[in-house]
Amino acid sequence: MTGGVINETPANRHHDCDVLIIGSGAGGATTAAILAEAGHQVLIVEEGEWVDQGTVVPFSLEQMDRQYRSGGVTVALGLPSIAYTEGRCAGGGTEVNSGLYRRPPEETLERWRREYSIAEFGSDPLFEILDEVENALSVQTVPGEHTESSEILRRGAAALGWDHDEIPRWMTYPESGAAIDGRRQSMTRTYLPRAFAAGANMLTEHRLDRIICKGSRALRAELTSTSNEDRPVTISFRDVIVCGGAIQTPAILQRAGFHHRIGRTLAVHPTVKLAARFDSEVNTPDDVPVYQVKEFAPDLSFGGSASQPGLVALALTDNWRDFGSAVTSWPDIAVYYAAITSQGRGLVQAIPGVRDPLVTYRLTSRDRHLLGQGLARLALLMLEAGAVEVFPSFRGAPAVRSRADLAEMTANFAATKASVMTVHLCSTVPMGENEDRCAADSFGKIHGADNVYANDASLLPDAPGVNPQASVMAVSIRNARHFADVRS
Amino acid sequence: MIPIPDNTVVTGAGGWLGTGLVSAFTDDGPHRRSGCIRALVRDQDDADRLSILSDNIEPVLGDLTLRSDLERLFEGLSGTTDVIHAAGVIHPTTFDELDAVNHLGTVALLDVAAEAGIRRMVHVSSNSPFGTNASRADTFRNDEPYHPYFGYGQSKMLAELRVIEAADRGLNVVMVRPPWFYGPHQPARQTQFFTMVRTGRFPVLGDGGQRRSMVYIGNLVQGVVRAELTPTDPGLGWWIADERPYRVNEIVETVGAVMREEGFDVKPNRVRLPNIVGSLAERVDGLLQSSGRYNQQFHVLGEMNKTIAVDISAAKRDLGYEPDVALAEGMRRSVQWCLEQGIEL
Repeated sequence: MTGGVINETPANRHHDCDVLIIGSGAGGATTAAILAEAGHQVLIVEEGEWVDQGTVVPFSLEQMDRQYRSGGVTVALGLPSIAYTEGRCAGGGTEVNSGLYRRPPEETLERWRREYSIAEFGSDPLFEILDEVENALSVQTVPGEHTESSEILRRGAAALGWDHDEIPRWMTYPESGAAIDGRRQSMTRTYLPRAFAAGANMLTEHRLDRIICKGSRALRAELTSTSNEDRPVTISFRDVIVCGGAIQTPAILQRAGFHHRIGRTLAVHPTVKLAARFDSEVNTPDDVPVYQVKEFAPDLSFGGSASQPGLVALALTDNWRDFGSAVTSWPDIAVYYAAITSQGRGLVQAIPGVRDPLVTYRLTSRDRHLLGQGLARLALLMLEAGAVEVFPSFRGAPAVRSRADLAEMTANFAATKASVMTVHLCSTVPMGENEDRCAADSFGKIHGADNVYANDASLLPDAPGVNPQASVMAVSIRNARHFADVRS
Repeated sequence: MIPIPDNTVVTGAGGWLGTGLVSAFTDDGPHRRSGCIRALVRDQDDADRLSILSDNIEPVLGDLTLRSDLERLFEGLSGTTDVIHAAGVIHPTTFDELDAVNHLGTVALLDVAAEAGIRRMVHVSSNSPFGTNASRADTFRNDEPYHPYFGYGQSKMLAELRVIEAADRGLNVVMVRPPWFYGPHQPARQTQFFTMVRTGRFPVLGDGGQRRSMVYIGNLVQGVVRAELTPTDPGLGWWIADERPYRVNEIVETVGAVMREEGFDVKPNRVRLPNIVGSLAERVDGLLQSSGRYNQQFHVLGEMNKTIAVDISAAKRDLGYEPDVALAEGMRRSVQWCLEQGIEL
């Protein structure tokens, strides 16, 4: 039996399945593959469209339009507000992110076990799952030449004696082995085809309106086609697993009537940016650097951002009057970030009658100071790597050309003036037996529900301090296997 | 290590560090040196106090901000000359004094030293050009972006920038960066510190878990001498501190324990202030300084709830620096020195 993307909705506009999986990213795709292979009749629903890898330019405006929620413009309100992005397409965030892969650190797993009382959460079985994942996604370092923007990070960190390393990616490389020729092994190329081969079906371009529940039991889901708004579709299921990511998953659960600890503890890695101009070409529009600076980890990490000309312009807008003219030399400019592990937390709240939930996030005083210190250290690294000029992304920032200018920059920085953004969203449905802190049990079943589960980044108890996709996949696969054992 | 120079010029010789250096150059310890020691001092009392240490010491009365005084400091020297620039104002009466001495005084000294054809110069800087750590867990690496802490930090940063420019012009000058130091020859304000601990009135802000790097004066002397006598590229700088940072609680407890062992009746510390007091004091300090005034109490209190932690591994690697005295022993020597001087704690 082979499944796949369903284009035709049956005349009665109704589907039946054993397990409905909402969302097809790192959580949903892996869950679908494992449950389909275990013999469950699986239906995946996805709000976005199916876009084959290679048909849109990575990090381009077209990609933001087609594969991100709201064109990539979503904001968590606060002082400062934090811009974030969510993938909205088949494969979710795995289709559009930087592809950098990091196992969760042992200390992080230990903290989660201890503070959230997660049962059967040994590190070794998780690392065994990650061995499988690394094989399935071809996780590897760049076999050939690195991009110049990547080399800058390595050079600057080496000059300062700061610890740095190359982060492997889920990429395959052709003969040349060059970084820019890598091909992302996202969910549309790995776990989704595996799920289809085992009989799973997938309904794309359908938005979930709500899950209808009776008491603690979910009965059916109501959806609308995004291309044909007046065609509602219903789906009946035995179990529903919500994998919509850390913003959508809690909103969906709240609308279904579940509230205990849901959407209360959004965790992110807030980042600030700068653009650095060099005296030769350094910009690789469709790739990101693979080096990260980990000298100050886990509190602080530095890395490279996407540097399409439009994104270079965006990085210069905080002081466009002084920086704007630099945009004409965008080939000599690359964008870099400083990310922190935050002590703050955010809220996700579904609002009746409004499609998108309200997201708020509060940085602590320590978070705000750390963002400033991180940005200054990153600027120093850029000078050491040979940058001619550094343009920090905060309102009224000075251009930094020397060490003396760093003092002017640090004197003027305030997090409330900065363009703070994040991509790593998690922890809105934390898992564990500690019911005071957790919204789901140790395997993602929602506390107080009979047949409703979450299985994505929402379950991670807090931000792991590293690129989270490996952590998400390890937890999702673990939970899916447990589900297959107990719900067969 | 390169040989000891024929002449050693020490600025700020009447001060805490300067006295420590001159004493170490003339006592029977490992840093004793032959040759002339030219010591720039502010007044006759300091000149007399240093003169009795050794015949090698030639005090020169003068002002760092006066070029003619600095020229006299180098007059008539023959052979090789090293300069240790330990002069500086920490707690001034006005903000302008900080810039005049710490910044412009350093500029003048760099010029005169270059003209005198010196062999090598060690500029004593500070942690203040780099501000405070953003989080308690953070530790300053050897190379950090400038983020000066108020007027003192600004003046010491400008001095560093002028030092680096002088190195670029060919002067063989390097920098050491000590944090808060302690030990014999301490000034009166540090004596107050012992008194506050003894009477149980040292203001611990918040939970006292802030980390502070400190340096025992003997360790600092070692660091300065190694920076002087170890060949390196000019323009470099190093943190010189004790082996590791201490928590504020640990500092207060250790000093209390040492004083008890030295026979003092030490009261349990009971001054716990909320963090907000430190933040308020910092603001008052900032406001005063922006209007050109300075108040030591507000300045110190404003800094007390901060972490200032530094990593000394670069000094170990480049200079072979090995701090051999830690908090308890250093404080004990400090308390004993006070008792020997008849200072009431």
